[in-house]
Amino acid sequence: MSDLAVSPTRTAVPPKVLRRSAAARKARYSTIKMWVGALCTGVVVVPVALARVLPLPDPVHGVLRETSLPPLSPGHLLGTDPNGRDLLSRILHGGQTSLLIGLLAILLSGLIGIVAGAAAGYFGGWVDTVISRLLEAQMSLPLLLMLLLVVALFGPSILVITLVIAIAQWPEPARLTRALVLVEREKPYVAAARVLGLGRLRIIARHIIPNILSQTLVVVLLLLAQAVLLESALSFLGAGVQRPYPTWGGIISDGRELFVTGAWWLVTIPGVAIALLVLGVNLLGDGLRDRVRRAKAVTS
Amino acid sequence: MSDKVGMSGATGAGPGRGISRRALLQFAGLVGAGTVVGSALSACAGPQGAGGATGSGGGGKLSIVLNRNLVSLDNKLNQYDAAVTVQRAVRQALTRIGQNLKPELVLAQSFELTAPTTWTVKLRDDIHYSDKSPVTVEDVETALKYYFQVKASFVAAQFPEQPVFAKIDDRTFTLTTSKPLVTLDSLMSNILITPAKANKPEELREGIGTGPFKVASADSGTGTYRLVRNENYWGEKALLDEVNISYQEEEGGRVIAITSGQADVIDTITPESAAALKKNNDIELIQEPGTRLIHLFYNFRKPAGHPLTNPKVREALSYAVDHDSLISSLMNGVVSSAEGVVPKTLAGFVRTGQYAFDPAKAKQMLAAEGVSKLDLTFIWEESEFAGAARVMEALVSMLGDVGVTVKLKEIPKGGEINAWRRGEAGDWDVLGNGYGNQTGLAITNLQGQYGGTAEKEKTRDSYHGFVFPEISGLIDQAGSEPDAAKRDALLKQAQEKIWALSPAMWAWTPDNVLAKRKRVTSLELSPANSYDLSKVRVSG
Repeated sequence: MSDLAVSPTRTAVPPKVLRRSAAARKARYSTIKMWVGALCTGVVVVPVALARVLPLPDPVHGVLRETSLPPLSPGHLLGTDPNGRDLLSRILHGGQTSLLIGLLAILLSGLIGIVAGAAAGYFGGWVDTVISRLLEAQMSLPLLLMLLLVVALFGPSILVITLVIAIAQWPEPARLTRALVLVEREKPYVAAARVLGLGRLRIIARHIIPNILSQTLVVVLLLLAQAVLLESALSFLGAGVQRPYPTWGGIISDGRELFVTGAWWLVTIPGVAIALLVLGVNLLGDGLRDRVRRAKAVTS
Repeated sequence: MSDKVGMSGATGAGPGRGISRRALLQFAGLVGAGTVVGSALSACAGPQGAGGATGSGGGGKLSIVLNRNLVSLDNKLNQYDAAVTVQRAVRQALTRIGQNLKPELVLAQSFELTAPTTWTVKLRDDIHYSDKSPVTVEDVETALKYYFQVKASFVAAQFPEQPVFAKIDDRTFTLTTSKPLVTLDSLMSNILITPAKANKPEELREGIGTGPFKVASADSGTGTYRLVRNENYWGEKALLDEVNISYQEEEGGRVIAITSGQADVIDTITPESAAALKKNNDIELIQEPGTRLIHLFYNFRKPAGHPLTNPKVREALSYAVDHDSLISSLMNGVVSSAEGVVPKTLAGFVRTGQYAFDPAKAKQMLAAEGVSKLDLTFIWEESEFAGAARVMEALVSMLGDVGVTVKLKEIPKGGEINAWRRGEAGDWDVLGNGYGNQTGLAITNLQGQYGGTAEKEKTRDSYHGFVFPEISGLIDQAGSEPDAAKRDALLKQAQEKIWALSPAMWAWTPDNVLAKRKRVTSLELSPANSYDLSKVRVSG
């Protein structure tokens, strides 16, 4: 199937028909998805990353006489909040917190997930049983409630929220890694490595994981969107980073009661930022996953 | 079956192939979408939601949406301003606080100070409960007893001591205290009377009372109550047939409820909502000066040597607060900055000074006292007052301008704030807190806030450690002084001494703002932020 899409010259089917084939359509879609995803993500992530460099007003200290200015007001592109703080500045600085937590959380959850999943898949037996039951147990817990409970117990801070989200997300990469390792460990190159006398940990780290990493990383990337959403949900519920530092969920939470009084921008604009980032990351991850699958199919 | 359906051309299916599965799915999708959109549109187009206000004939129905759950229909533990309106529609007290904040008789025919420490009360002869059973002096005795038995009673805390009850005859009794208590007629306005057999030392969620309405259904969990007119009411009957009470914590939800016609009255609205509702032609706003004091109160339990134990430092910090900007920008001008230690609407208030904004003076005073790099922690309970979080965040900037670093800690609703206030949950420096008043008397606030004693502080029952024997002595003296002029002089002295100690960084009194649909008439909002439901009328 993918051979047709990848090397059309080796077939007698006319190129016009080939272009309309399902495989070619999927290839085009994945490219479009990746570009649109990269664009949506870039629109949010690039300004967020440059927030400290851009000439923006202070996100914490406002000018009270500039209270609740609508978007496109002089000096305030996205308007101000009731405390007279520039909304663009708050969204970009708040985005730094959300993205920092999201990135740290997926790094940690990816690491835990890959290590645990690889161990479960390769060693099998009681290691697999323990890890599988652990992740099933965790997946059966209501995620947001669990997060709220932990934050209530240990207090809201970037470290606690990051750890909580990371621990909440490890089952996803762990399950995928386990499944991929189960397939890989039966392949001849693994048997050859064993025959050559390589240790089990070395086989996993040097031979199996590099072969499955691309597929796992795509799933880990997709978790970024979920991590940002979780952080925003926690902030929205008041369990996020403490005031007066901005977070996306916090800005929306503060603005929601003013929405009906006409200050629509306080909820809508940060909401659009979250939606763009989540959509972008998902499309990008989706496109990458399609590409990785296709590449895998071609090579095998 | 599909061959009979004449839509194959429209869906693009080829001739002779009948209807494709895709076409059927598209059709089903269209029908589904149409149904959803249609029903949503018709729901939006409807004039009023279920349970909404529907004026019928003479009396009509009224729908009230409160901002907090009306957990009970008495006030032993639960007496926020708007709740009083509903609670007193069902249960009444011997007296009530009138529009002029003076006590008026309700169930009592007379309530007189017959000796320095004794009040003699005579019940009216025409009063009875909604089931026509008579009100007895035993009912009053039981009610008074239970208000003091219930733990953490807001009402009992306002009495310097529990009055001793003594029956004289079937309608007359005396209330005696060890020290003269000249404001007992006002304080008794908070003791709601219930038949002794039906009363309990806990919140009453249902039951009967002497009020102009009776309970038709009650669900304290969801906070929904349906009151109907008490046809057996001993006084002038209520004008409304029915009153439906619900609650909606989200301010936006309440604004939508009144603008859509689902609610007739919403109370205690925020300045932002008030500004938005002013533009609506179907809605009227009622604004009255309030009796609730909101302040940024210092923690008086700080160890010796802490900067906040120095009144000069406390005063200096107050100069950093730009209250005019806060009032105009964050409070839409519906509050007034305090000019004393209690709201100016209360009887016995004395103007002791004004808060001033002077950051240069604040810096200079702090430097003179040798205070630099001061770190403060501000706490407040979520939604304790309108726009609380915004005010606190603005204070971070203002205090930052005079070199003070502020850490904010918002305490979620649910009771944890009491542990913080008592200093059991953690340390703090400034508390954003509201203090309501239902008696109309300055001495009630003074007693509750500044009447702390060493004895009370042992159990952490003083107001955040404010214990100054000289001041509590003056308040006690005033409370037992029968001569009004002398009492006022003592209260003046006490208030001046309190002000000199700078107990609050800033204090203000919000106006009571209530929004009602124009079909609701004759609603008179009192300074205590409640109104007499029996006088309310609806039209249309």
